Amino acid sequence: MSGKVGITVNGIAHEVECEDGELLVEVLRDRLALTGTHVGCMNGDCGACTVERDGEIVKSCLVLGRSCEGSEVTTIEGFSPPGELDPVAAAMWDEDAFQCGFCLPGMLFAIRDLLDANTDPEDDEIREAIAGNLCRCTGYANHVAAVRRAIAARATDSAEGDAPQRA
Amino acid sequence: MIGGVAYHRPADREELVATLADLGDQAMVLGGGTMMNPALGRRELSATAIVDPAALGLEWVETSVDGGLVLGARVSYTTLLRSELIVERAPLLRTLAGGITGGAQIRNQGTVGGSACYANPASEVPACLCALGATLILLGPGGERKLGAAEFFEGAFTTARRADEILTAIELPAMTAPYGYYKLKLSESSWPIATAVAIGGDDERIVIGGVAAVPLALADRKWLAGGEEPAQVDATIAGLVAEPWGDVLADGEYRRQVAGPVARRAWERMQSQGGGARS
Repeated sequence: MSGKVGITVNGIAHEVECEDGELLVEVLRDRLALTGTHVGCMNGDCGACTVERDGEIVKSCLVLGRSCEGSEVTTIEGFSPPGELDPVAAAMWDEDAFQCGFCLPGMLFAIRDLLDANTDPEDDEIREAIAGNLCRCTGYANHVAAVRRAIAARATDSAEGDAPQRA
Repeated sequence: MIGGVAYHRPADREELVATLADLGDQAMVLGGGTMMNPALGRRELSATAIVDPAALGLEWVETSVDGGLVLGARVSYTTLLRSELIVERAPLLRTLAGGITGGAQIRNQGTVGGSACYANPASEVPACLCALGATLILLGPGGERKLGAAEFFEGAFTTARRADEILTAIELPAMTAPYGYYKLKLSESSWPIATAVAIGGDDERIVIGGVAAVPLALADRKWLAGGEEPAQVDATIAGLVAEPWGDVLADGEYRRQVAGPVARRAWERMQSQGGGARS
């Protein structure tokens, strides 16, 4: 069986026809061609499929597409305005905090979610915040360094009245 | 993709009850989906219908007339963490919610009611609900019925909820007594192996999770407070685990052996909060 789901993704309203058992990550990738959201474990462990739904980060492999009726979703394609790097993304680049990039979209959402709630986290709070996102390349030390750099960048942006715009 | 399922989103309570009555054991009710959806996708669970109770909005935390709380069955761990009412009246649930692994994503998605209905013996929820003296409210064709947590949890992955019922809410008496919580797990993102809740005050109690199919409430606590040697306490508690439960993470014998140390550590933490008789 299938049906239509009304869902706003990255600010664009869609009426998407999808199978009843289709997962949000599949709707995003296969119906809307937003392939920046990655499919890893399909079990909620790796975090590569993390998106923001109605203001909270979720693992989109655990969410039924049809249960998202009326939801507003942000994927990595809408993480920052086109052509601009979010300070978190820039810090990940500057600190070499990714290699293959598979975990990156989910990692960015998890880190920004942390910094939106806590502007000055301790290292163990940073590690806890990315505990639901697996990176098999780096060993996480550079992630912590990237978060430290992002904190500084956001503080500078904020002091200059140039807070990053959400897409 | 979950193959072969039809999605139902009833518009209100009446329609939901009628839908469940019609579908019977072919339907599964959607909580947070964190366990059910992937298990259905792998066909470890079988169902031909998923019933989404979104229209009922079971995501609230409210006060009850007796000074306790009522939780909507689909309240998320994040909601518990953000709730001042939880801090005031059921701080044990804040401790529980803060320890849920899998990142903020899982705490945003996972629900207390969903975990209760899943009834994984390794989950932290069953033992905490038993220790808190929770009452679970089930809605079905005959209306509502209430079950104490100890009655609700019948076995591993088995509850007293009938296929045509939905868990709508969880009632909690106010719990402001000192408590101690201890969780043994073998790696950061692992399921717990064993958990224990010790509650002090006038109604001292201790409940151990993860060692048997259902939470184990210890009726006699004098061996915890009475100055016995730890090894003797551990042997006594191991003897009380009549039928240990085990899974791939730890077999029953291991869980039986750690039950005592886990219970003692919860008890010590409760004492350090100022509760319980000191040995």
